Amino acid sequence: MTAATGLVDRRDVSRIPARLAGVVEFLRMMSRKPVGLIGLIGVLFFLFLAYVAPLIVPLQDQVDVTAIYAKPSWTHPLGTDFQGRDVVNQIVFGGGDIITTAILAALFSTLIAITFGSIAATVGGRLDQIILAITDVALTIPQLILLIVIAAIFRPSSFFALAVILALLQWPALLRQIRAQVLSLKERDFVEAARSLDLGLLHIIFREMLPNMRSYIVIHFIIAMTLAIYAQAAIMFLGLVPLSGKNWAIMLYFAYNQGALFFKDSFFYLMGPIMAIALFQLSLVWLASGLEDVFNPRLRN
Amino acid sequence: MTPPLIELDRVSRTYTTPAGTITAVDDVSLQLGESETICIVGESGCGKTTTGRMLAGLLRPSSGRLLFEGADVWEKKGKDLARFRRAVQLVHQDPYASLNPTRTVAQTLAPPLAKHKKAHGRAARAAMISLLERVGLTPPADFLLKYPHQLSGGQRQRVSIARALTVDPRIIVADEAVSMVDVSIRISLLDLLHNLSTEFHVTTVLITHDLAVARYFARKGRIAVMYLGRVVELANTEPLVSDPAHPYSTALIAAIPEADPIITRTKKRVSLKGAEVPSLLNLPPGCVFHPRCPLFEPGLCDVVVPQLGDLPGGRSVACHVALRERQPAAELLGVR
Amino acid sequence: MPVLSVRDLSIEYRTRRGPVQAVRDVTFDLEQGETIAIIGESGSGKTTLAVGLIRLSPRSARITKGEIRYDDGKRAFDVLSLDSERLRRFRWADCAMVFQAALSAFNPVITIWEQFLDTGRAHGMGDKHKVHDRTRELLDLVHLDPKRVLSAYPHELSGGMRQRVLIAMALLLDPRIVILDEPTTALDILTQRAIIDLLRELRGRLGFSTIFISHDLSIAAELADRMLTMYAGRVVERASVDDLFYRPRHPYSVGLMRAVPRVSGALGSVVSIPGSPPDLIRLPPGCSYYPRCPFHVERCLEEDPPLMQVDTPDHEAACIRWEAVAAALGSDAEAPVAEKLA
Repeated sequence: MTAATGLVDRRDVSRIPARLAGVVEFLRMMSRKPVGLIGLIGVLFFLFLAYVAPLIVPLQDQVDVTAIYAKPSWTHPLGTDFQGRDVVNQIVFGGGDIITTAILAALFSTLIAITFGSIAATVGGRLDQIILAITDVALTIPQLILLIVIAAIFRPSSFFALAVILALLQWPALLRQIRAQVLSLKERDFVEAARSLDLGLLHIIFREMLPNMRSYIVIHFIIAMTLAIYAQAAIMFLGLVPLSGKNWAIMLYFAYNQGALFFKDSFFYLMGPIMAIALFQLSLVWLASGLEDVFNPRLRN
Repeated sequence: MTPPLIELDRVSRTYTTPAGTITAVDDVSLQLGESETICIVGESGCGKTTTGRMLAGLLRPSSGRLLFEGADVWEKKGKDLARFRRAVQLVHQDPYASLNPTRTVAQTLAPPLAKHKKAHGRAARAAMISLLERVGLTPPADFLLKYPHQLSGGQRQRVSIARALTVDPRIIVADEAVSMVDVSIRISLLDLLHNLSTEFHVTTVLITHDLAVARYFARKGRIAVMYLGRVVELANTEPLVSDPAHPYSTALIAAIPEADPIITRTKKRVSLKGAEVPSLLNLPPGCVFHPRCPLFEPGLCDVVVPQLGDLPGGRSVACHVALRERQPAAELLGVR
Repeated sequence: MPVLSVRDLSIEYRTRRGPVQAVRDVTFDLEQGETIAIIGESGSGKTTLAVGLIRLSPRSARITKGEIRYDDGKRAFDVLSLDSERLRRFRWADCAMVFQAALSAFNPVITIWEQFLDTGRAHGMGDKHKVHDRTRELLDLVHLDPKRVLSAYPHELSGGMRQRVLIAMALLLDPRIVILDEPTTALDILTQRAIIDLLRELRGRLGFSTIFISHDLSIAAELADRMLTMYAGRVVERASVDDLFYRPRHPYSVGLMRAVPRVSGALGSVVSIPGSPPDLIRLPPGCSYYPRCPFHVERCLEEDPPLMQVDTPDHEAACIRWEAVAAALGSDAEAPVAEKLA
């Protein structure tokens, strides 16, 4: 928001109810598509589980050889793992890293796509062709295989580094969409007006164009998160990154490699992280589909 | 003599299409003075919008010059060019596309005020209020926080005009600015634009296909009639509508249905030879109107391109026959 | 004997904010061979009324009450009681609708001939040769060259030609009523003139009755015998074309007449109507035009007057202040309102 509008907005009290009304309107439109609302609730639940619950629940990290692969019980609702540690506790503590990495990866890929997509469309010419060519190459490479190769070579140890690698693989699809959108928005009357008012390229891109692409951006962001989670699960399950910390995918790796498949009481140990990942992904996809309706003006009225 | 405020000097604009090169605007000259009102009138494909966009500096002519206060605009650079850009503002046709749907009225008006007038906070708010009052959106405070979808078509056009006024333009080019709003409120929008020229000395150019609208808007100004990329007649409004000099303007005025049953029933008609407008891809030689013209003279009209020449009464017409006879076509065709 | 008589027709749209009363208690007769123009701003209900007459309204619309009686001398029935099969026949064979000549009025991937053939078949013209003969005859009638047009695709025709094709198609089954929705909007002036002349010629030759909807008063002045002014879903004035243009008695008709500049004659005092049409979900009490009306008095807030006779038996206006309107206009001469008020 520019300085001037910022001041106007803050001074005007009627703005606040307007904002609230926006939230209410958003919820009302989401509620028209139950799937979207369930998705929203699911996503909020998992975010709570991953970021707030660990602050409340104590970590139960100690090995208990007396309780290896314990059956579900009141103390261990989903049983225990190969070292006798509580599965639910691991799920609570294992969400943070994988979700943070997914968010960061989605954020980076979105930023790359927006920056270079806008540049390609506004500058045009040779630069546009070069960016497009790179995008097409990136789109055609089998992503998982490339990811495995990169992960194997660099062995990223921080979730930040992992997010960067994931982001590098995800930007092409959105870039193409952003480029197409900018190309069409460039010809719109209000963008032309901004140009004759000499408001500058940054204003035109960030204030006039980007807000009109928010549906693409938000939905891409969510889809990028789901892809990042799958990719993490895959490379961690394959043991391609240093396995440290708590993480649903790492749980899965250990469950598999410690032979949980062969113990009939470890069913919940195996299913725990799988269900956590699957439910979170499903929530994201449903949220995206609900948002699609909210953003589509033709479906509004 | 001081140069005109803005001038199109023999501009043409060609486009390359898969089917061949088309000349959308061909050798058009137009001089506009300060606080003048002028309408560019013509049917679809006559080049009026292209001419307007060249006048606004949004489209570079393929040949010819655009002069602002005597200086060639397309030679300008940096600050000079930016100053020209702001001096000419456009009001678009479609009220549903001309405002950014994601920005409130205040968010639309504030950035140019902040950038070019250094008006922030209270000063910006006061400036916005006075702009909204000036364009007739009252009470202005009610409109500041509205999004475009909360406004009617007419109100949106008013916001567009207010947005143009944020940078104190010298010229406003309004491209069919009233054709998409309801008939019942068109006049008030035209009055608003007209007042800009009388009260604030803004030169206003209205591009329209509607001669009745043109007559009302430019009642103290001029009308330019375009046909297939050329200006065929340029004259003060009243003589042009009552006594058109070019056979095309004559036919156009005779064909218009009027909101008056008796006039419209008794109006004299001009019958044209061909109903279809020639394609821009394949323009006839000589005068582009000759295949349809009731005054057509073989060997003259289909050979020589007529240039605008003066007739008595301060009017210019591009017609061999009218210029030779020194009489407007309306007289020659007996439809006065 | 009117070919169509409409009584107390009301049409409602369901929206999330509540029911929109788009058409309220509309009553009028369409005589044999007559042309009625319905004028009004967008949102006045004129298009809803027109499509409602042939029950072509969108699914969110509902005819809440009224009667639409069709009577061509041989057959007479209530349009609202037709089953879907008979309704389909009524829509083309008795009462045809011509929409704006947008490309979307056509199927883009089949030729004009196939469009005619499909229309004919859909309405029981099984004989291909018969359809072909009739089509050629109609294209001649609308001054199009059948050889050139029949094999063309819609996008290959100009706007004026498409409008002619649509008119010809509407006449395929020789309907007694033709409803035209903005028949010349978006056409160039000279093309528009040609279409107006064509409509007048066809009407004279074939004798059908016409209802047309337009926001363009000048086309109403050209073609109409009688006119209805609609405001906020109601007919607020019903008059002959001359009465409505020169002696309007409802302030809204006066406002509309005054809002349109002319090319010929004196310019007069041209003024827009202030304000905007009311919200049809929450109509103001009393007369809906009250907030915009320069003639209003306190009583206008209390009652929404029905159509009542003014001047002559053929002229009705829904305004308690019609005498004040008449006094303000001064003379009853054949001069436009903008001139009288100048």
